[in-house]
Amino acid sequence: MGASSSPAPGVFSPMLTDGSVSDAEIMLRVKTGDQSAFEYLVQKYRRPIVSFMYRMARNAAAAEDLAQEVFLRVYRSRESYEATAKFTTWLYRIATNLAVNHARDTRHERPEVQVSLDEPDEDTGTTLEVPDSSLNAEQAIVRRERMMAIRQKVEALPEQQRLAVIMHKYQQMDYKQISEVLKKSESATKSLLFRAYETLREQLKEFV
Amino acid sequence: MKCEQLRERMPDVAAGLSEATAAESSHLASCISCAEQFKAMQETMALLDEWQVPEPSPYFDVRLQARLREEMAKPQAGWAMRWFRQPVIAAALTVIIGIGVGLFFSQGPRIHNSQPMLAQNADPGSAVGDLQTLDNNHDLYANFDLLDDMDLQQDVTANP
Repeated sequence: MGASSSPAPGVFSPMLTDGSVSDAEIMLRVKTGDQSAFEYLVQKYRRPIVSFMYRMARNAAAAEDLAQEVFLRVYRSRESYEATAKFTTWLYRIATNLAVNHARDTRHERPEVQVSLDEPDEDTGTTLEVPDSSLNAEQAIVRRERMMAIRQKVEALPEQQRLAVIMHKYQQMDYKQISEVLKKSESATKSLLFRAYETLREQLKEFV
Repeated sequence: MKCEQLRERMPDVAAGLSEATAAESSHLASCISCAEQFKAMQETMALLDEWQVPEPSPYFDVRLQARLREEMAKPQAGWAMRWFRQPVIAAALTVIIGIGVGLFFSQGPRIHNSQPMLAQNADPGSAVGDLQTLDNNHDLYANFDLLDDMDLQQDVTANP
């Protein structure tokens, strides 16, 4: 890609802001060397991908590293990209593979590493908890306990169920898209999600 | 509508991602079991909503841009490397190289057997002849330590 011949980062061709242009078509422009098209995709998907990784990883720094790696892989794969599926399906497949590999690589660390929701991460300065200044100390403790419980119960789900719940509940993806990312049938995905939510309902009933 | 059919759709409707159809609403109004399950799932969904995550840190974009610049600065892989990244071609090349190495080693003894022919052509006392003598008697020289142990050193020095 010739960066010198591309528009400045962040400056995007107005043609691409037309709603009729799909992300897959924009990715095809990245393939031809349009740097601004790539910038557009990063800006559009950075927040969803970071939030996906925050829920998949154990700490904020790892989550942001993984999210950056997703975009780097998109960039590296630009020349081999084929618009055979929705761009988001391809994007989440990359994200899912990275998150699953990270979880497997770090699984031996899990019993020792305690997730801290309120302590800021050394690298990013962020916490996994969103602070709410309207709560008093007692309410904040209760809220933190509930957050920890939700996080732990979702984490404890089998891998495929956890991925399905995060994509469905927090990324608002439909059954078809989740099934494509997970390479399952739509019917199997529906069943997977129903079982996952039933498990969570049972495990979290004391907080309801 | 059957309970099974409604249960398939329940996560989507309970999460608010989709509206209940008339048939689904009707079933929920008439089936106590499904209605209870649906209410419980809605409550679970509301609880899961509490798990909020922060915005990307201010450093996210800066770090991503730095990593992208590094990526762009890397030289593009040559055509040979791009070809080699194709799994089928990589596998085929590996097999061809493997066969080549196998053939090379399988012909090794034949090459070795041709050495006595060369030894016969070298003049005794010449540098080449001496080297061939050393090579031909390699096993013997390698076992000099053993000969020492067997008290044969004197015989050897007496008859060089």
